[in-house]
Amino acid sequence: MKHTVVLTGEAMAEARDARAYLTEQGYRVETVPKNIRLWDEAALSAFAEPLAGDLLGVIHPAPQRILGGVEAVSEADWSRAADEGPMAAWCVTKVFCGLMAKNGGGSMIYLNSIHAEKPVGNGALFSMGCGAVQMLSREAAQDYGEFGVRTYFVQKGIAPTDPDSASPVSGVYCGVDLRYCERKYPEAGHLNALLAFLLTPGAAALSGSDLRADGGMTLYYIHRRKVEGRPYYERP
Amino acid sequence: MSGREERRVALVTGGGKGVGAGIVRVLAARGVRCCINCNSNPAMAEDTLRAVEAAGGEAFVHRADVSDLGQLQGMVDAIIERWGRLDILVNNAAMQPNLYIDEYDYDKLRRLWEINIGGYFHAARACLPHLRASGCGRIVNISSIHGKRPTGFDAGYAMTKGAIRMFTRELALELYSDGITVNAIDLGGCEIEFKTGRAPFRGHSPVECHNPAMRGFRMVKPEDVGELVWYLCSGGASSITGDGIRLDKGVVLI
Repeated sequence: MKHTVVLTGEAMAEARDARAYLTEQGYRVETVPKNIRLWDEAALSAFAEPLAGDLLGVIHPAPQRILGGVEAVSEADWSRAADEGPMAAWCVTKVFCGLMAKNGGGSMIYLNSIHAEKPVGNGALFSMGCGAVQMLSREAAQDYGEFGVRTYFVQKGIAPTDPDSASPVSGVYCGVDLRYCERKYPEAGHLNALLAFLLTPGAAALSGSDLRADGGMTLYYIHRRKVEGRPYYERP
Repeated sequence: MSGREERRVALVTGGGKGVGAGIVRVLAARGVRCCINCNSNPAMAEDTLRAVEAAGGEAFVHRADVSDLGQLQGMVDAIIERWGRLDILVNNAAMQPNLYIDEYDYDKLRRLWEINIGGYFHAARACLPHLRASGCGRIVNISSIHGKRPTGFDAGYAMTKGAIRMFTRELALELYSDGITVNAIDLGGCEIEFKTGRAPFRGHSPVECHNPAMRGFRMVKPEDVGELVWYLCSGGASSITGDGIRLDKGVVLI
């Protein structure tokens, strides 16, 4: 039985949690070395091909966010966001889904963000990339599905480990802990079991779907309720 | 038609042919002065200009590659020099190569990204100072149902349309306090002169893949898009922002 899982980056805390958890569960977790640019097809293929026969799945976390309004975006930011976001996701998909398709299938998991749906008003570069990868997941489910490759787009919520993303025009990041239905941030490792499930064939019926894993924080329309004496729009 | 409407100025990227030409024809017929942007097919843009002028409208053609920041800025400068204002940006110029994931390479996908989303992003930036000055600025991003539903014949194109969905939402939040609305039109199949990409559906003809449940549906016409753009640019639509309006005659419902 295949047991190798590739992690394409570890900048996201949830990715590091998943590596530890999956290793503990007996999976062999291989992280793409930092010196390989994920949009470099030749370099990524050279890394991936020796793993092909035992490749169970791939977890591709979203890149680090670039914040700032549209007019503040530099040419360097634009180029970096394009490469680290959509170009990297496409290349990872082409290389790893192609290999899994030749080897009986597997799972391609995009560990992404609610910002594929939810704008903040100072993160267009990041949100655009998320929206693009969301559509890539859906398209890849069709392109590779007949070869046993399944794709999933996980939309994680906001965690205290995320960089401060306060927006001057949006309250999305205000009182985040109170927006979670449990009125607290999720604990470390909260996505581990979900990711492990998505690596199994039992999740096949979910292929191509979005899985919002944000503890209900984006359910709110306008939430004015005070919780523990603090209105949601006050930052903790 | 009010005097105010007669004075408004629009930039329509990719306005020389297809969907863009339909938008130009509708806006110009309502008194909006239009800059018709074109790049690969100036002859068709001149045809569109002649049609506008024959109908009593006012427009001019400006050739610019929307993926080139300098050319974009030059186009906006030309509009301001000519008419002194800019009220409406319609981002429309795009390409659809119809390639599968494994048929793209970095250069092809990056080129697509720079035109289909880079062109929208940078055009908005170049126009923003003038849209703010307008007091009733409007940005309409022509997108596609490919930004919500996968089609299985062009992942790259769908990625750029997913990006436009989020660009529209982000920009709407950013610009709301400036009185600028930003919306997208998620267009379905449209009846245009010709398409630039390869015919979709590898190994099958479009007819073979055509959903029989779609029989009887008429394709959207470029003027249908123009009418919706006109509405979104009207005062009556000032409360609509960050939206993506599906214009596909209900095809995705099937």
